[in-house]
Amino acid sequence: MRDIVELGIGLLEKEGIEYGDVRLSQTENEVINVKNGAVESIKSGESKGYGIRVIKGGWGFASSSDFSERGMKESIKRALKIAAASSKISNNIDLENVEIYQESYTTPYKKDPFKIPLEEKLDYLMDVDERMEIDDRIKVRKCNFNAWKTIKEFASTEGARIEQELIMTGGGLGVNVSDGEDTQKRSYPNSFGGDYNSRGYEFFEDLDLLGNAEDTAEEGVDLLEAEQCPEGEMDIILNTNQLALQVHESCGHPTELDRALGTEASYAGTSFLTPDKLGDFRYGSDIVNIVSDATAEGGLGTFGYDDEGVKAKKVDLIRNGIFVGYQASREGAAKVGVEVSGNMRADGWKNLPIVRMTNINLEPGDWSKDEIVEETEKGIIFDGIKSWSIDDKRLNFQFGTEAGYLIENGEITKLIKNPTYTGLTPEFWNNCDAIAGEEEWRLHGVPNCGKGEPPQTMQVGHGCAPARFTDIRVGVGKW
Amino acid sequence: MVGSKTLRKRFDEVADKILNEAKADEIEVRIIQSDTALTRYANSRIHQNIGQKDTHLSIRAVFGKKVGSATTNSLEDKDVKNLLAKAETIAKNQRKDPEFYGLPAVKDKIDEKSAFVKETAEYSPDQRAEKVKEIIEMARSEGVDRVYGAFQTDMKSLFVANSHGVRRFSTLTTANLTTNAIVDWDDDQGFGWGESFSADVSEIDHIEVGKTAVEKGLNNIEPEKIELGEYDVVLEPLAVKSILMYLDMMGFSAKSVQEERSFMNGRFGEQIMDERVDIYDDVSEKDMVGFPFDYEGVPKQRVDLIKSGVANEVVYDSYTAGREGDKESTGHALPMPNPMSPLAMNLLLGTGDFSKDEMIEETEKGILVTRFNYCRPIHPMKGILTGLTRDGTWLIEDGEIKKPVKNLRFTQNLIEALDNVEAIGEERRLFPMGYYPAYFAAPAVKIPDFRFTGTTEF
Repeated sequence: MRDIVELGIGLLEKEGIEYGDVRLSQTENEVINVKNGAVESIKSGESKGYGIRVIKGGWGFASSSDFSERGMKESIKRALKIAAASSKISNNIDLENVEIYQESYTTPYKKDPFKIPLEEKLDYLMDVDERMEIDDRIKVRKCNFNAWKTIKEFASTEGARIEQELIMTGGGLGVNVSDGEDTQKRSYPNSFGGDYNSRGYEFFEDLDLLGNAEDTAEEGVDLLEAEQCPEGEMDIILNTNQLALQVHESCGHPTELDRALGTEASYAGTSFLTPDKLGDFRYGSDIVNIVSDATAEGGLGTFGYDDEGVKAKKVDLIRNGIFVGYQASREGAAKVGVEVSGNMRADGWKNLPIVRMTNINLEPGDWSKDEIVEETEKGIIFDGIKSWSIDDKRLNFQFGTEAGYLIENGEITKLIKNPTYTGLTPEFWNNCDAIAGEEEWRLHGVPNCGKGEPPQTMQVGHGCAPARFTDIRVGVGKW
Repeated sequence: MVGSKTLRKRFDEVADKILNEAKADEIEVRIIQSDTALTRYANSRIHQNIGQKDTHLSIRAVFGKKVGSATTNSLEDKDVKNLLAKAETIAKNQRKDPEFYGLPAVKDKIDEKSAFVKETAEYSPDQRAEKVKEIIEMARSEGVDRVYGAFQTDMKSLFVANSHGVRRFSTLTTANLTTNAIVDWDDDQGFGWGESFSADVSEIDHIEVGKTAVEKGLNNIEPEKIELGEYDVVLEPLAVKSILMYLDMMGFSAKSVQEERSFMNGRFGEQIMDERVDIYDDVSEKDMVGFPFDYEGVPKQRVDLIKSGVANEVVYDSYTAGREGDKESTGHALPMPNPMSPLAMNLLLGTGDFSKDEMIEETEKGILVTRFNYCRPIHPMKGILTGLTRDGTWLIEDGEIKKPVKNLRFTQNLIEALDNVEAIGEERRLFPMGYYPAYFAAPAVKIPDFRFTGTTEF
């Protein structure tokens, strides 16, 4: 594969361009879905190809899976033709200078998920399924295993030569329950396929789906009989699986510099965190510290180098509650005068790298979750992502979780269903008054973050510990 | 551009090889080839401009009731051979699925032609840039310096063959242009939106799209906060598209009914919406685009999901049809295996006899909505959806558009909303879904007592 990359770079260097890179990617994935005692699907996929980025008066990008010399030449021709068209309506494009690497990186892992026999994974998932078969009102039992392996090669006309092998593994389980009048769902360790990490099969084993199957199924059934979430204002505690999404939507996306500069305006939207706010806008309370960290061990957004050759790093986004940093590409950083954060990532070989989250992590505080509960007079604990919606500047949000737990006088008193909460991002984070510590901090993986046109899907991570937010509106809607 | 006949011949060769060499009881070969070109512009400059080509070969191998599938993006002989071996190995190691009743064997002759327009297929980066430039110049002439959007042209081919003799091939083209105008005014911004979609790029009036966005943006300066509560709403077609899309995802598939999570459950034959509401899936309607067969090669049937307001039927793929025994696939399979399948992919809301202007004139106090943003189901069985308005929301008073208002969050039971529908538009417009190859044709509608539960700051 190295040969075709070198061929591409050699050809680009003869074209008198301002900048060019060739990024080759080969991805292998395995998906096993078990549902109601049968294997719903086993899919094995592989995809390989390359994308070419050029600047010649404007940006051009072409991608192809034709690995012949002719294919590469045609793709470069197409990228240059596209750049020529862009140059008719383009600004001067400056890329911030970065260190140029000739390096390689491999995800540290113990067990290659692709070398574990299919039979072993199937047996395990079938056992998990059986454990969930406890009540007729459970209409769907499902569990899954997913793994990806990606080999990447990146070369640029600036001299970068980077090879990477990245592995991601994960899975989960869940039930859908119905009594004919109502339907509820409950999942472990999170909804929408579970949890994921940049580790090997050992991560899937550590999830202990088997040990959590029955309790999850039971609570799903219990939700049918649970009380409806109350309406009003009260303190809320977000468990890590839901807090990860809150960080994702209300901090991850608005600190993407491309959104702040308007280049996603017509699709995903813009951001309330505009460059004039950088350095002095109070985003949250003093205890809120959020970083973009592509070096976090095991994070789904962990890698060696991003897709424009920038070495993985940790960058402050929110420090002591103040908005201090962006996730920025080389082009965006040059425009605004901020640090290049190493967040440019593409969905496979086919797509153009755009600013994407890596691991956007909320740093731990100094409480324990038990202490937070004990010191809450009236509140709700939210657990398990179910519904999420936020406006196109990332201000007004409304989230719903699978389950809620009512707290009265410092004790958890009952399970509640259809819990929802809503708010405005800065008000919400300024009402954050307690964050649990390191020992309860979890690094979750979100494998399906959508952004860009054509739509791209990205795997990102979010680390956090349970946290409390005061005076939040809950129980939205007419039931 | 490779001609359709050449492409078909190549796909036939690949399929023949697989079908001849396969040892499985049943085999399905699916090839999707796409060529996407997209010009994105922001701040009145082109900032992303791409061309993508890909081929996706998938093999589904079946031994008895054991199914395995594998995919690759290479049609090279050795890769195809490896793929077949992999799909068969997976199937052999698979567990039996007692509810799998075989691959479909529907070989009825149909017109396999999709909407294919040569001009769309051959549209160049220069042509897209030229149209974008004209939109930018038009906006500037109206005093709007910042426009954003995307101009996308696609050509997509779908080939399906299986060991029961099914063999289908079709190619379609699509073009989609969006413009988002952001109008600066003191410390404020006005947002406006225009969009046009067609199989034929020449039918896209780029200036009209741009003008719509600019006009909405200019009329959307200094929006005011209004009190939350229930309002009559006039929803433009793009907002109605979101309603159709989420009804589709929440309850129009046999899978959602079989899993007892659809708003249709237990209500078939019951009047659940106003009698003027007809929602149906029909790829053959003149204002629709799409492949005439699904991803299993089954011809798409018209399915009347809501007929005169009555919960009537849902869409099936071969698997969900097999589970019920007395059902046939309606031709709504996604690329299988797929947890989202089946899905209505060509959904239409029947038209009424009102114009949008008449709906506004007949409104004493209400809200005009351009489109919705980031909708998500809250409770699929109750049909409750939340989302926000975007790119132009206005207060209507005494039959006139009075003033722009800040974007609003709704949390609304859609079944109730369509049961209460007051007026349905006489014209509908076609929009793509985005993530899935699904298309929605929607007119404007007027709905009373639409529940707004939150507001934002712009």
